Amino acid sequence: MNPTVTHDMSVISLITGASVLVQLVMLVLLLASMFSWYYIFLKIFTFKRANRLADQFEKEFWSGADLNELFQRAVNARNSAGTLERIFEAGFREFAKLKKQPDMGAGMVMEGTRRAMRATYQREMERLEAYLSFLATVGSVSPYVGLFGTVWGIMNSFRGLANMAQATLGAVAPGIAEALIATAIGLFAAIPAVVAYNRFAGDINKLATRFDSFMEEFSNILQRQGQ
Amino acid sequence: MTADTFITPNERALSGALALVTHALFFALLVFGVSWQKREQAAMVAELWTSLPPMSAPQPEPEVKPQPEPPPPPPKAEAKPVPKAEPVPAPKADIALKDKKDKQRKAQELAEKKKQQEQARVAEQARAAEAQRLAREQDEALKKIAAQQASERAKMVDEYKRRIAERVKRYIIEPPNLQGNPEVELDIVVLPGGEVLDVRTRKASAATAWDNAVERAIRRAQPLPLPPDPALAKEFRELNLKFRPKE
Repeated sequence: MNPTVTHDMSVISLITGASVLVQLVMLVLLLASMFSWYYIFLKIFTFKRANRLADQFEKEFWSGADLNELFQRAVNARNSAGTLERIFEAGFREFAKLKKQPDMGAGMVMEGTRRAMRATYQREMERLEAYLSFLATVGSVSPYVGLFGTVWGIMNSFRGLANMAQATLGAVAPGIAEALIATAIGLFAAIPAVVAYNRFAGDINKLATRFDSFMEEFSNILQRQGQ
Repeated sequence: MTADTFITPNERALSGALALVTHALFFALLVFGVSWQKREQAAMVAELWTSLPPMSAPQPEPEVKPQPEPPPPPPKAEAKPVPKAEPVPAPKADIALKDKKDKQRKAQELAEKKKQQEQARVAEQARAAEAQRLAREQDEALKKIAAQQASERAKMVDEYKRRIAERVKRYIIEPPNLQGNPEVELDIVVLPGGEVLDVRTRKASAATAWDNAVERAIRRAQPLPLPPDPALAKEFRELNLKFRPKE
């Protein structure tokens, strides 16, 4: 048994043995991964609650409660209101205001109400979508950043090889392994970010259709009331 | 603002903690769960030898002979009595007597001193002889050890040369129609890992087919078994081996 294996190949030594630029790349990737995981958890909580609040409000709304009462409650519980509640509040407020004006036709009232609801809806969606673009960026860019670190590390490894008399595999292999760690970290950051982005995009679509259909239904109700 | 509905500070803290935990977990998995050095594979290559020399020659500890201590300074100095006579404030009447006594005493002291010096000299001579003897013995012992080591080294070198030849022989595919018992002498340049860098024919045999077969066998026999001791390995940079079909 020849003691040919002299290089310590533990992960820590691979990281500490890398060149400064590669280490910098690794640091950037680690930060990206950290933040993307932070936003992933944040978004999970957000969507969970958004769904819960929407369920709650829909139940109340369709159980035949008085619209004025619902509106009062929505105004009072402003800080804990869900998206549906806000849309409802904005629409109902606008509807009540426009209805008081004598020279408004039914069509114009409905149009103003819809606009108000649409504006709230847009604002809420924007809030729901916050940080998703960060996840998308991490998911698409970090493999390239990792690859850059790897290419740089391998370049260095080969440059070192040029100074050697004997080009053995043992002389290049540790350098390449060190460099490849950067790609590994890049992928480690990218994969969860991409998965989470897709998942959240799906969630947002679902929520958006839900809000949209609620807006349509609520408009119908208001229109019936207005006539 | 209404942003409170989406993210509460509690959730922020929780998300941060969870992200940290996730990374710590993955990192721990990577560090402790993955061991890229699989040493079992090295153990799969087994070579059987009838006579195994010790992997590393047991270095006989050069016995530490008690160093002959430097002879202690001759006791002359200590034994030397202080010949300083006290100033004698005696009355004049006593002077003659005192002189005589003084002389006597001085003579006695002189004799004693001489005797002591003699003794010291003899002791020193004995010690010097002893020291010389010890030094000689030590020298001899060292020489013996060196000779022993050299012979052991030579034995190891021979043994490994035999092993290499043995290994190469295993890979020789003897060409058909070999006439007689041709002997080929080759110079092999070996890399420290046991790879063969170069094979040159120093003395070709009559049968070129045999020469080529041996050369091919050497290339196929890589890596050659080299001694693990780097001091010995130096002698295996260039090898000179002879091969003949029948031995």
